[in-house]
Amino acid sequence: MRQRVNELIHRVGASLMLRSAGQARLAWVVAITGPLLVAAALAPFRPSIGLAGFLFGTLLFVVAAAVMGGLRPALVGAAIAIPPGVYYFAPPYDNLAIEREGDLFVFIGFIAVAAVLGILVDQLVGLARQQTALRRVATLVAHAATADELFAAVTEEVARQLPVGFARMGRYESDDSITFVAAWGSPEDGFPVGSNLILDGDSVRGQVFRTGRPARIDNYDQISGPLGQMARELGMRSSVGVPIIVDDRVWGVMAVSSTTMPKYPADTEERLAAFMDLLSTAIANAESRAELAASRSRIVAAADETRRRIERDLHDGTQQRLVSLAIEMRLAESRVPSELPEARAMLFRAARDLTDAVADLQEISRGIHPAILSKGGLTPAIKTLARRSAVAVELDLQVEHRLPQQVEVAAYYVVSEALTNVAKYAHASLVNIDVHASESAIELTIRDDGIGGADPTRGSGLVGLKDRVEALGGTITVAGGSGQGTSVVARIPIDRKSGIDAEHRQASVR
Amino acid sequence: MLADDDVLLREGLASLLESSGFDVVGQAGDGVELLAIVRSTRPDVAIVDIRMPPSHATEGLEAARVIRQELPDTAIVVLSAHVEVDEAMDLLAGGERLGYLLKTRVTDVAEFIGTIERIVAGAAVVDPALVRELVSARRRRDPLDVLSPREHEVLGLMAEGASNSGIAGRIFVSEGTVEKHVRSILGKLDLPESETDHRRVLAVLKYLEAR
Repeated sequence: MRQRVNELIHRVGASLMLRSAGQARLAWVVAITGPLLVAAALAPFRPSIGLAGFLFGTLLFVVAAAVMGGLRPALVGAAIAIPPGVYYFAPPYDNLAIEREGDLFVFIGFIAVAAVLGILVDQLVGLARQQTALRRVATLVAHAATADELFAAVTEEVARQLPVGFARMGRYESDDSITFVAAWGSPEDGFPVGSNLILDGDSVRGQVFRTGRPARIDNYDQISGPLGQMARELGMRSSVGVPIIVDDRVWGVMAVSSTTMPKYPADTEERLAAFMDLLSTAIANAESRAELAASRSRIVAAADETRRRIERDLHDGTQQRLVSLAIEMRLAESRVPSELPEARAMLFRAARDLTDAVADLQEISRGIHPAILSKGGLTPAIKTLARRSAVAVELDLQVEHRLPQQVEVAAYYVVSEALTNVAKYAHASLVNIDVHASESAIELTIRDDGIGGADPTRGSGLVGLKDRVEALGGTITVAGGSGQGTSVVARIPIDRKSGIDAEHRQASVR
Repeated sequence: MLADDDVLLREGLASLLESSGFDVVGQAGDGVELLAIVRSTRPDVAIVDIRMPPSHATEGLEAARVIRQELPDTAIVVLSAHVEVDEAMDLLAGGERLGYLLKTRVTDVAEFIGTIERIVAGAAVVDPALVRELVSARRRRDPLDVLSPREHEVLGLMAEGASNSGIAGRIFVSEGTVEKHVRSILGKLDLPESETDHRRVLAVLKYLEAR
């Protein structure tokens, strides 16, 4: 039942949408002309219809005016119905006198009914509008739109809910300043998005920051500080601000201002707060998502660093040591007197086996971290993978510059793992590898002509790849039905400003 | 002349070379030291580790370039733990009397000494492991398919930097036969005839890498 009511409210709200300026004008036209039209139309039938019938007919227009323009046009419409009612429909006809005492009570009753209807309709429409707006915001939150999109949308919804000229959403920074993250309404150059101001003085935003509670200003004459100064310059007359609380701290503020209205209605704070709850949840979600992404990214980076260190230790330490050991054995071998051929042969074999062991060690260290990748970058590293592939490879490499280390490593492993899978499972005769790096992202496609039917959820290799790529904010998909070959498509964003992409994203919602 | 930041390996290599009749005129632990000694002693050959301080990347290649510029008669052998085709071509573009070898090659003393002698005598040498990797890389319409198995073998030896007489000795045929094979290979792969061995190495490597 409740759900149905909600749905009904939603539908009514959606069909009425929001009151535009045009609609408000139309409300006045309806309120003024409606009763007169009804009077003209019904006058010929006045003996049978009577005064009550006429007034009842005008109620239709009163309600319409209330829907479109609120209580005031509705009451004006009702008032306008009275003179023609007295003149045409209350005996004696065609003059402004009232014969029957009962008619006076009919008029009083009519005004009362019109007022009650007007109030009810106005509230219902307001409620429906708010519900619709809240629902739109909730949908945005659920669909995890980007933080900036969400902020802009909520600010707009808030602005349309209230008689505002101007709505701004701001984020409080650790240095007691505020950064504006979303803006709606004119003047457009007032507190633009991205600007940062110190929270000094008694501005609405400063009060909300200090108290963590809603604040309002109805007179800007005495307001100090840079924010107050700017508000005065913009011609603000009244403002209301409500806090955005995330995880028990005052994250930011939503403030509305008007250059025309002397004072905001008393329920403004309450109406704003309904939106802020949704916004808080969305911000908290976004922050934990960003933290999660950053921590994933850090884990991958730490693992990579360890592998790189192990490879370096193997290369510069163990491997060198073994090579010099092999050289010493060769020297020893050459100094064994020729009367001891067996000792000489033993040393020879030992040195040879040691050399084989070094070769094995090289293979292992290549698997741990490919030195060519740190030295030469993706192009030579992928070419090397292609040369060593068991299946023929056609390469299309378009990587002009070196990329951030994490991106290179992830891209390398995407190709490496894909080639390994092709060799193991695909029964393919050819693999096409396309790698294209732009300013903002690198895209990799590895497509084979094998039997297909790869299951991306099976095997730790692909899962590990997914983790690695997603930790950098990228995507990877494995596609290909049975008999169509398999293609692995990955896209990894390149953030040149910072090594760790996710940390940057976290900063944008903090 | 020897340059490697690993003292043990350097010392081992030095005594190995000395016991094989070489005269080791200096040892260096990094590129700067190497250049100083090379300038003052003007050795016949400098054997250089590719990875040295400070950044442990390709300092050896840098040093080789400088030596080549200042003292073009000094032969240079660059040793690396992993051989990469880009580095090989980078080095060999410097001309003849150059070698690019896996570090583990030094443990096969006789062959290593032989290689050094060939390089000093004017050859350009690329590690066989790298050539093997290049030759065995699989391609869809592989242009190498037109070669006979014997020509395949000869191509690999050409890439390693062997001269015609060297190839003849390795596959036990006459030099005239090798010449015939070489001409046939160059014709089939549409490679230019080169007047020097090092140009031939470079051309073959480039071809193998790009195919």
